[in-house]
Amino acid sequence: MHNNPILRISTKILFAPIILFGLYVQFHGDFGPGGGFQAGVIVASAFILYSLVFGIEAGKKLFPSNINLILLALGGIIYGGVGIVSMLLGDEFLAYNILGSSPQSGQHIGILLVEFGVGLTVSNVMIALFNAFASYDKIKEK
Amino acid sequence: MISELLINAFLVTIMLSIAIALIRTRTVIFTVILTSAYSLVAALMFITLDAVDVAFTEASVGAGISTILFLAAMAYLPKKEEESISSEFVPALSCIILGGILIWCSYDLPEIGQLTAPIHQHIAPEYIKGSKEDIGIPNIVTSVLASYRGYDTFGETIVVFTAGVAVLALLQKNPAKKNKSQPKQKIRENA
Repeated sequence: MHNNPILRISTKILFAPIILFGLYVQFHGDFGPGGGFQAGVIVASAFILYSLVFGIEAGKKLFPSNINLILLALGGIIYGGVGIVSMLLGDEFLAYNILGSSPQSGQHIGILLVEFGVGLTVSNVMIALFNAFASYDKIKEK
Repeated sequence: MISELLINAFLVTIMLSIAIALIRTRTVIFTVILTSAYSLVAALMFITLDAVDVAFTEASVGAGISTILFLAAMAYLPKKEEESISSEFVPALSCIILGGILIWCSYDLPEIGQLTAPIHQHIAPEYIKGSKEDIGIPNIVTSVLASYRGYDTFGETIVVFTAGVAVLALLQKNPAKKNKSQPKQKIRENA
């Protein structure tokens, strides 16, 4: 698949718009359909497409595995962290009202951060799973 | 009304034919592709029920990424399913009985979209009213998911995280063995 020019060029053209669409779904989730789960999957699909066309090694060069694993855990930490911050500020766990100047802006900030955490975890879990399956064969054969 | 009926009948027919094809096929790749197609039709079904968020998730997760992951995992499976079921009578009977019970129970369900149904009476009105005042965002699904039910979504995220870590741990080879057979850089990449 590495030498097919149609696949290579269309992947290069599509890569950025897919991520852009993922970010749109992520941050537009307050106003339209979408949110962290869907956006995470869409962003992950861009990286998986790259790995499929250019090979798993090139994919790992683009998005190194150790960063992938750190971000995978960071998403959950952001989500839990928002809850803990609201607790430290004197409200209940995951009550966002206290995060902003008014309850509504607090809710906005809380939802944005929480959805970002969800998106981060989901996208990185998907990329990590794909990498694990794709490189398993090589480990077995050697 | 009649157009809705036609669309639903069309989608159900496609779903049913995909399900029958799924039962009959013995090739793993066809199973994966048909499952993906089934998810896509299910997503269309959710759109006819006005559940766009669910449809979006079904299309991206069910039809998109899980197909890719299935295909990636498929490389380690035999190409064809073994035909080892000795008797088809008992599974068929249990399926028919279970399906019959479900159809029988469905007569007790309230009509879809009926306002007096218990699900629309319990806490949903509060969410619908409160979403604009308390949270101030137009998409009620997001406000329920991330704010009113923030705990549940936190749990979901942790489930995704745990499942991912578990699969990574399972696919990891024994590090002691890897040391012998692989150059050092590889190990770090796979870690």
